[in-house]
Amino acid sequence: MRKMIMLGIATFLGAADLSTAIEIPDATEILLKDALPAPKLYTMPAGCIVDDSAAIARGNYIFHNLNGKDAKENPPEGLTRLLPNGKEKQMGNCVACHQIEGSQGHGNIGPDLTNYKALYMDSGARTGQFLYQQIADPRLDNPNTHMTVNLANGLFSEREVCDLMSYIVSKK
Amino acid sequence: MHKLSICTALFSLALCGILNAEESMSMNAADKAMYAEMLENNPAAMDIAEGEELFNAQIGQEAYAKMLGVSVKDLPKTIAGFPRLVKAAGKVVTLSQSLQMAAAQQGKAVPKLESKEMVKMSGYVKSLANDLKTNIDVKVNKQMEEMVVLGKHIFEERRGGRGLSCNSCHSPDIIGSRLRMQELPDLGAPTTASASTWHAYRMTQSAMVSFDKRMQQCMKNALLAELPLGSKEMVALEVYVTNKGKGNTIQIPGLKR
Ligand code: HEC
Ligand code: HEC
Repeated sequence: MRKMIMLGIATFLGAADLSTAIEIPDATEILLKDALPAPKLYTMPAGCIVDDSAAIARGNYIFHNLNGKDAKENPPEGLTRLLPNGKEKQMGNCVACHQIEGSQGHGNIGPDLTNYKALYMDSGARTGQFLYQQIADPRLDNPNTHMTVNLANGLFSEREVCDLMSYIVSKK
Repeated sequence: MHKLSICTALFSLALCGILNAEESMSMNAADKAMYAEMLENNPAAMDIAEGEELFNAQIGQEAYAKMLGVSVKDLPKTIAGFPRLVKAAGKVVTLSQSLQMAAAQQGKAVPKLESKEMVKMSGYVKSLANDLKTNIDVKVNKQMEEMVVLGKHIFEERRGGRGLSCNSCHSPDIIGSRLRMQELPDLGAPTTASASTWHAYRMTQSAMVSFDKRMQQCMKNALLAELPLGSKEMVALEVYVTNKGKGNTIQIPGLKR
């Protein structure tokens, strides 16, 4: 009798041990930290689009590279491969989805941005403000967009968004 | 030993001659030759063989079937339905998690989900279901119903450094477009059959990679924080993506670029 009770306890503990043997790490914190802020309107700062060659060079670099570590060429003045905290600086990798003048190995998920100024801005179809919002947080225009969020989540600074714009509208 | 149909893996499409020149640019002629060679002789077969030894030494089919509450005969079709509710766990678990339970029951050291032993062992056990179709049932009980809903949410939630979700690159309206030079695969289609062809030998990594690990790699590439293997959310994601490819034939190990 006593033996049977002991056995009963042993199997009971055995079953309890079984589910505790499984690794089930908690991902709640990770997901919370990784969440995006709600989409909102951003206002293009004054003097955003410029024809300063240094700004255009930075925009060019951000557009065509994925991150500072893997980039083939050294970044232009005002951009670094690493952030002050030692982590690699993420670039835009816009070319993964967009064709543009001189792009190599570009994808085709997003629209072709070749000749953007003449086709879209000079024609009045697009404003600087639209362009700024589209890069900062495209979810406002299209909640189901496949385009990346670039300012809302702190990937880029305001100036970097403006650098990208200066590059896109520049004469190439 | 492990059959691999010539058109299963993503880039075997190129060999099947239905991929146009532009799209096949992400694999050059030398890569293609190597791919063809590896189709004949998948390097991951070694890992699967080691997994078999480990499994037989640590657990064995009989003990494993018993833990799952099925007969040895029904083991393959039970394996073809993971992730699934395992009674002894009281929740939906992955194949690897069920192996952790079985190892504990045998009084053996429980291999970590990230360990090489686990990848090999779970690869072997999944291969026991080779030639069967994935038969995951997301309606069979409340727990599975909840998991597929959570999995869809995780798949569609934009987050991380670029504000992308899995859906940004794997939604039906975007499949077949190119991200850089990479064609975006339809995870559930028979030509990709993600859930039933991983564990696969990943040529770009020269190693066998499990399905959950492959999904983690997409998170890393797209700057989404990596969900830890075994977390409820990761299991739910596996449920959701597996269900997309329900009915595809299991062929482990797969071969991918
Ligand atoms: C993962 C794909 C993807 C990436 C990466 C991406 N885009 Fe886009 N982009 C799109 C898509 C898709 C659209 C079309 C708009 C939509 O669907 O909401 C778009 C639209 C745009 C437009 C608006 C064009 C117009 O006038 O309608 C601009 C400008 C743009 N992207 C710039 C960028 C820049 C700059 C970057 C990099 C910082 C970038 N994109 C990265 C996919 C992408
Ligand atoms: C920025 C784009 C992008 C995002 C975001 C993304 N993926 Fe992918 N995924 C890809 C590309 C491109 C491939 C094909 C790569 C290759 O062939 O090496 C791929 C391949 C895969 C595969 C392997 C397909 C196969 O069987 O060969 C799986 C599984 C997968 N992704 C799941 C996910 C999951 C889950 C998420 C979200 C956590 C996700 N992906 C997010 C672009 C993306």
